[in-house]
Amino acid sequence: MKEFEYLKPDSIKKTISILSQYGERVQLLNGGTDLIVEMRDKIIQPEYLVDIKAIPQLNRITYNKQDGLNIGATVTLNEISNSKVVQTHYPILVKACKTVGSYQVRNRATLVGNICNASPAADTAPPLLVLEAKVNITGPTGEKIVPINQFFTGVKKNILKKGEIVTSITIPPIKEKWVGVYLKQGRKKEVDLATVGVAVVCIRDEVRIALGAVAPVPVRAFKTEELLKGKTIDESLLEKAGRSALTEVSPISDIRSSQEYREEIIKVLVRRAILQAKGGHIL
Amino acid sequence: MKHKIRFTINREVKEIEVEPNKTLLKMLREDLDLIGAKEGCGAGECGACTVLVDNKPVNSCLMLAVEADGKKIITIEGLSDGINLDLLQKSFIKHNALQCGYCTPGMIISARALLDRNNNPSEEDIKEALAGNLCRCTGYQRVIDAVLDAAGKGGGK
Repeated sequence: MKEFEYLKPDSIKKTISILSQYGERVQLLNGGTDLIVEMRDKIIQPEYLVDIKAIPQLNRITYNKQDGLNIGATVTLNEISNSKVVQTHYPILVKACKTVGSYQVRNRATLVGNICNASPAADTAPPLLVLEAKVNITGPTGEKIVPINQFFTGVKKNILKKGEIVTSITIPPIKEKWVGVYLKQGRKKEVDLATVGVAVVCIRDEVRIALGAVAPVPVRAFKTEELLKGKTIDESLLEKAGRSALTEVSPISDIRSSQEYREEIIKVLVRRAILQAKGGHIL
Repeated sequence: MKHKIRFTINREVKEIEVEPNKTLLKMLREDLDLIGAKEGCGAGECGACTVLVDNKPVNSCLMLAVEADGKKIITIEGLSDGINLDLLQKSFIKHNALQCGYCTPGMIISARALLDRNNNPSEEDIKEALAGNLCRCTGYQRVIDAVLDAAGKGGGK
């Protein structure tokens, strides 16, 4: 690992001023489970590393009925899985967090880091997309809130500009009764990246669908959702939904899977996730 | 520039100066001569470097030494009291839950953390907790038996 200067500011303000000052030469350190591997492999070689784990307000999970759930930037995936409020109100998020890496990795890795890293296969992205999460960003010019489906801009790319950091993610409350499902297909059950990930949320007659690892960015399948809206789910509609979802993504062949296999699995998982969310059986 | 850090290692307070680009694993092995934790993959896949940081198992290859400032670290060397082995260490020996032994320190640390948070784990709980610890010798069954036995569940019958 190349030498660098390690900085550990205790406020968001100081962090932003460091990020603005050093520009391309600085890298932000959160859980480090992606970053340290990339630094070890010399894929990135920052001159300055800013550790944000000493900033107290970034390490909180808060929940209330009006504003929903807020998860700070440095909250780890295991802290989320172990949180009673998340378990009670957003079990789909617990499921997704538990599928990332190993237990050891989840003690370091964070939800915000998973999103900022912007891997197309990020397990937490499809659930956040169907939960219509908001990304809270602070930068040199102030704060802004960006819907999660506008946050990803390409493979490992996001909309953050120089000097900006994600301080937390907010999941707005869903007033009505709803069910969420996240299904992940990997080569093995544990410690693997998703070959395909599908999240579905059903709220009355509304069905929300998002897919991971099948396009340059995690994708919300709006057209397929439109197709399903207000309809009674039956076998032929499920089949249509699978085929429709396929038209909204662009899977590739890579080390984990061929394009053809991904296409098949997308159809299977979309159908299965909708059925599960609707309380049906896997046909 | 070196950073002065202060932490607890196997119940002993230490203060040392480290380069920021040194991982926790390297510091443990090279500066503190604690060579139980191993580097397998160096990328958080194999778990051979697992140590407890504030009672939580983490991959010490994915953590910088400077990040250990103020933390409480336990390595495999710190599990026994110097005379008596930890229950899990005894159970691994009893069940022959190792062959080459390279993964064993990480395995036992992960298993210790599991039993500390759940003293009645199912086989599924054990598989989940140890999923990040690869072993290329045992085929895992003896490891699972050893952990079940240590949890008082008569692993391996």
